[in-house]
Amino acid sequence: MMVLRTREKQTLFLFIVGLLAWLVPGAGHLLLKEKERSIIIFVTIVLTFCVGIYIGSIGVINLYGSTPWYVVGAQIMNSPAVLVLGQMTTGGAYPVNGWPNEIGQIYTSTAGLLNLLCIVNAVYLAYLRGTEPARG
Amino acid sequence: METIFVIATFTVPEKFGASPQSMLWLLPLVAAIAIIYKATKVPAIKAGNFIKEVTILFGSIIVFIIIAALTLHAFAWLITA
Repeated sequence: MMVLRTREKQTLFLFIVGLLAWLVPGAGHLLLKEKERSIIIFVTIVLTFCVGIYIGSIGVINLYGSTPWYVVGAQIMNSPAVLVLGQMTTGGAYPVNGWPNEIGQIYTSTAGLLNLLCIVNAVYLAYLRGTEPARG
Repeated sequence: METIFVIATFTVPEKFGASPQSMLWLLPLVAAIAIIYKATKVPAIKAGNFIKEVTILFGSIIVFIIIAALTLHAFAWLITA
């Protein structure tokens, strides 16, 4: 019963780490007391995402338009805040075409995929720490 | 939440077309990829070592892209010549 409870706690902890890492880039690592890593992740991902939005405008976040599903999926991996931006651009309120659109989409979706890498890394680190034998 | 509203003020896209200069937008993206990849891989983050690792990866990606571009250019030249 104790083992089961510990395993449940471990699973819940991994879920919280993953969820936090998605909510705010780098927050998963911060929870694991990896301060430097979390700052680097936060600054890099937010900057990359902002550069994409700067180049293509918020019109590149087109969740309900003709944007391919894999681009939308990658953009959402940045943070749920992308969903808020997606609501603002519903109905093609901010049209963007050509290269600014493509480069903006590449930047924002790459930032999302990099955050996905960080989410997986944070969960894996949390898992490793949970299975490591106690030191001392 | 305020960050979202600041981002939401970016409502007008930049104006540029397909030109050799527009390829330079590749550089910040490669830098971001190198930084995040190394941030997840390096066992302990020490400023000097981290910058060195990121620079090596950044350089490797750029060199590989240049080689790929030259190879494709040579192929295109051979086919169309």
